[in-house]
Amino acid sequence: MTDIALSCSGVWKSYRIYHHRSHSLKEKVLTRRNAYEVFWALKGIDLEVPAGTTLGIIGHNGSGKSTLLKTVARILSPNRGHVELKGTLSSLLELGIGFHPELTGRENVYLGGSLLGQSRRQVDTRYDEIVDFAGIEQFMDMPVKNYSSGMYARLAFAVAVSVDPDVLLIDEVLSVGDERFQIKCYERISEFRAQGKTIVLVSHSLDAIRALCGSAVWLENGEIREEGASAEVVGSYLREAHGAVERQLESSAHRLGSGQAEILDVAFLNAAGKEEATFRTGEPMTIRMRYRSAPEVNDASCGVAVYRADTGDYVFGQNSKAAGVDISLGGMGTIEFTLPDLPLLQGRYEVSLSLHDNNMTTIFDRFDRAHSFSVYHNPEMPIEAGSVHVASSWKTSTSPVGV
Amino acid sequence: MRRAVGEVFAARELTANLVRRDLKVRHRGSLLGMLWSLTTPVLVVCLYYVVFRYILRVAPAADVARPDGNDVPFAIYFFAGLTLWNLFSNSLLTGAGSVTGAGYLLRKVYFPRAILPLSAVLAALVTFVFEFVVLLMVSLAIVGPPSPHLLWVPVIVVQVAVLAYGFTLLLSAVTVFLRDVAHFIGVFMQFWFWGTPVIYSLQWIGNDHPGVVRVLKLNPLTGPVVSFRNVVLLNHAPNFKLLAYSAVWAVVMAVVGGWIFHRWQRLFSEIV
Repeated sequence: MTDIALSCSGVWKSYRIYHHRSHSLKEKVLTRRNAYEVFWALKGIDLEVPAGTTLGIIGHNGSGKSTLLKTVARILSPNRGHVELKGTLSSLLELGIGFHPELTGRENVYLGGSLLGQSRRQVDTRYDEIVDFAGIEQFMDMPVKNYSSGMYARLAFAVAVSVDPDVLLIDEVLSVGDERFQIKCYERISEFRAQGKTIVLVSHSLDAIRALCGSAVWLENGEIREEGASAEVVGSYLREAHGAVERQLESSAHRLGSGQAEILDVAFLNAAGKEEATFRTGEPMTIRMRYRSAPEVNDASCGVAVYRADTGDYVFGQNSKAAGVDISLGGMGTIEFTLPDLPLLQGRYEVSLSLHDNNMTTIFDRFDRAHSFSVYHNPEMPIEAGSVHVASSWKTSTSPVGV
Repeated sequence: MRRAVGEVFAARELTANLVRRDLKVRHRGSLLGMLWSLTTPVLVVCLYYVVFRYILRVAPAADVARPDGNDVPFAIYFFAGLTLWNLFSNSLLTGAGSVTGAGYLLRKVYFPRAILPLSAVLAALVTFVFEFVVLLMVSLAIVGPPSPHLLWVPVIVVQVAVLAYGFTLLLSAVTVFLRDVAHFIGVFMQFWFWGTPVIYSLQWIGNDHPGVVRVLKLNPLTGPVVSFRNVVLLNHAPNFKLLAYSAVWAVVMAVVGGWIFHRWQRLFSEIV
């Protein structure tokens, strides 16, 4: 017996993209045939997932990640090739699958559980845990249509993480929701790994892939571009994604300046001085600019401003002059701006950079929110809400209330 | 195919949950809840009794005479055939759209697709059980006690359920590709109803039109309906010849329907 839990051999999957699909007899008779294009979503995927390992699948939108997951889950059947699976399988492609608004929380737990391949007994043993996590014990006999969206989401999530198959497929879904879900989800995945179960995880969160998966597969246009240890695959994926961002910048409209000095490129560096696009809260981060200037430009200063990408909120801004640093350009060189303990919390951030004269009257070159990086939660730090990490301490004291 | 049957069996808990969901949702929010399953047939029987005794004044009907000579009022005779007909017709009417109606589930999770039409048949079966209980009580009160022939009821019912499942597998698969079926089936079931001796007895046609009787006997539901009334109301043995003919239909339809469903189901999640 081999210890391969899941294997795909030569899996091809195409979709027909109908320009117009006829469902009625009249249309079928009148239009002789339906015009469609064939789109190959998977082109000969070969994959083996050893039992007890966790595989991450990464790739751009439309690269075939979800199709591959659905094919493995048997929701789609491949045109060619086949998928082999050992043991029971649950696929978590969405939360609250099969939930019916008229049924009570309790009824939905059992219905949803059985749709995820759980037996009644398995749901029985986990029922208390589900209710406990959802925190809605007193509402379990109420139809879920009366739930708040938060209660509904918690219950759906609790059912999803209660599954106990041999092989688990997880799509993005579990990364939606609040921090508490993510932590619970990571905990559950770790538990799964400890039990020697097999997991396939599709995620846009490269950090999650790197942290949770031993190996990873990078899909591009329905083919495997690279596979191997997750850190390496994610690394090469990022390098390319980063390159793509830079190329995009060259034609960016968010740029202005007199041209006396020019920012050639911008990089975000980690503690080891390597280029990165993602950071964890509390880790060192350096922004490095390479510049070129006319020889006569002296007495310049550099400004850095950081914004939240989602809301556009201005998080902080600093200037080399205000910090008492003199910069004299004159030729080519680099400027590095370092945050020793990145104080930003989870999210995507955009950076504006500028080179200008000391009086701020002439802007030599400026990029407006053209560069971005992402920050992920650092598991070693407490959970915080908002944009910035703030050092803090708590103190409590109780005194009995006198009668 | 054998694996597919095994998968359906393995998913029996899920099937039961789906049936339970359908039944619960149907009665959720109503004051009497599941009690309606009993109330409705009781009211229907009372209505028929009044209509056929005082308005249409149809004489008591019987395919064969009861050994004890008791008359069977036409309303009860009709209701008996109707319960079995409803089992068949409800299965087809709700089952035909069972796959198209579950589009969302099909795209998000795997389960043996054949349990969708199956749960429609099982839900119809549950409704049938309630109607059957009412039928037995009414028959006991108005016509007289049943005979040991009553033990044939499970055989007849299972046979009709298998026949219905075969048709439902076929129709639900075809509906995915041709939505017209949903419209067509409503009208078609009306024709089928009048082509089945539910609201009339084959004896009424008698020897005047032997050709018509011969055609009606080709209907795979004729045997079960006639036999069902024999064993429940008339204390008589089933019509074994017609029942055997119908059993052949049930097996053929289950195999044909199952085979087509099995062949086509891989496309369901993409088309629905």
